[in-house]
Amino acid sequence: MQEVQGKLLNGLEASKLDQFVQDLKTKPDVAKAVNGPWRSRVEWQGGLKAKGYMRNHVASFDEPEGLGATDSAASAHEHILSAVGACMMTGFIFQATRKGIKIHNCEIALEGTFGNILNWAGLSDEDTPGYPEIKAKMYVKADATPETLEKIWNEAWKRSVVTQTVAREVKVTPSFEAL
Amino acid sequence: MDDSSLFPVTVVGSWPRPPWLIQALRKRQAGESSFKEFNTVADDAVLASVKQQEDAGVDIVSDGEQRRDNFYSFVVEKLDGIKLMTVAQLLDFVKDRASFEESLRALDVPAFAMKSPVAIGQVHARDSLALDELKFLKEHTDRQTKIPLPGPYMLTRSSWFPGLSDKAYPEIEDLGREVSGILRREVLALKDAGADFVQFDEPVLSQVVYGAEGAETFMCAALASRKDPTQELSYALELMNRTVQGISGIKLGVHVCRGNWSRREDVLLKGNYGPLLPYLTEMKVDQLVLEFATPRAGELEVFKEYGDEKEIGLGVVNPRSSEVESSDLIEKRVIDATKLFDPSKIYLNPDCGFGTFAERPVNDATTASAKLRSISTAAKRLRQGIPIAA
Repeated sequence: MQEVQGKLLNGLEASKLDQFVQDLKTKPDVAKAVNGPWRSRVEWQGGLKAKGYMRNHVASFDEPEGLGATDSAASAHEHILSAVGACMMTGFIFQATRKGIKIHNCEIALEGTFGNILNWAGLSDEDTPGYPEIKAKMYVKADATPETLEKIWNEAWKRSVVTQTVAREVKVTPSFEAL
Repeated sequence: MDDSSLFPVTVVGSWPRPPWLIQALRKRQAGESSFKEFNTVADDAVLASVKQQEDAGVDIVSDGEQRRDNFYSFVVEKLDGIKLMTVAQLLDFVKDRASFEESLRALDVPAFAMKSPVAIGQVHARDSLALDELKFLKEHTDRQTKIPLPGPYMLTRSSWFPGLSDKAYPEIEDLGREVSGILRREVLALKDAGADFVQFDEPVLSQVVYGAEGAETFMCAALASRKDPTQELSYALELMNRTVQGISGIKLGVHVCRGNWSRREDVLLKGNYGPLLPYLTEMKVDQLVLEFATPRAGELEVFKEYGDEKEIGLGVVNPRSSEVESSDLIEKRVIDATKLFDPSKIYLNPDCGFGTFAERPVNDATTASAKLRSISTAAKRLRQGIPIAA
């Protein structure tokens, strides 16, 4: 492993990552700003299509044709899988880069199976309509020992915002207004 | 009978790379070293590979494919217009990504680890594909030499990718003509330089026959666009014969297996040679280098109706297992084979290479050496008069 200061490693400046962590540690206003709130606004696009607007970004959603939809984009629950994986990867790359580890390739394969789709359809109250389990497997090629990489991986998923959001019972506060 | 020329022992090609060679390969692939610099490191790996083959009693040696990332992707170092792309990079161009995902799941491999040479422009030979390998090999061994080359169908199928290749080659057949010309010139150059044996690797043919739709194995990333098996096999035959037509004075072989990327037997293809034989036997090559050491290869009896016109490179050990087959077992396999094949036309080899993919070898060098030693022990005993079945 090599300490790299001021130079790009994995497409990142390790010194900037260190500075960011230092700011979180010493500047309460920075930590407060990063904590959120984070927001999304989801707009119906006709059929089962929707768009989620997040800051200056947009993500599209649709459903498979079996549901009478057009399958023009991934389903919302598939986005969850990607979000979990992307968040795990963010943590992994962030921490590996801070340790000066060069990453050659990194990939996470995720998979989930609904507890009971009949529940979603209102045909049953048994089980859960959601994923009772999400499997995530990381493949990585990097200049470090497998033991070092696995340790970083374990830290990454245990401290992943999205992973820990879906892994814990999140209080969802729905509200409603008909116009 | 006692004939020292019987049952020559050879390899299919690849040998596990040492860790320092993998490091050098990674540097090369990251653009941090030149091909020449990489080759200087690889020279030592080739020497080690050859020594281990010689010490194990191999009669026809290869260079262990130590200079190659895998048995077909290495062409990107030698050809202009072809770029090595990972399946991860190809995902942006694949129409049916869901089927690719299925395959990755089944194989338990990351998309970044699977690489395929893809034609992204007019393909020209910048350099000979394997002449440098042969010259170095011949300088360092007095054994006969085998040079594996990607088969014309394999190279064409893997390289033609809709959305990336069709500007230079609107149809796959256009690229196929280019590829067969390049390979033909290569064989002639290798022959002139004194190669004894050129083996075309066409493992993807088994995928054509036995690979389920939607469960591609990435031996050929573009296989998703294949036509029906009969058409594909006919095309493979046409390409091979266009490549080798009229060439003599060098032994030519074609190698087919059912995959060599995993030690898990359940993820590799299975099925006998029956559907392939009408095409393989029409190829204008001298030898069929085939796997026989696992039940997945099916029963030998399917060869009965095709006679023994061609030589057989008989796969007698599984390159993917830790257990070393005993020479007794190998002898029995050979004797069984002599019931169908002329003993004078039987060569002995493992089912496939020991390190087909540089980063994912299926065995270690110690086990590979032991397996080759077991083959050569069996060969010696067979030559000394083990009764050959009529």
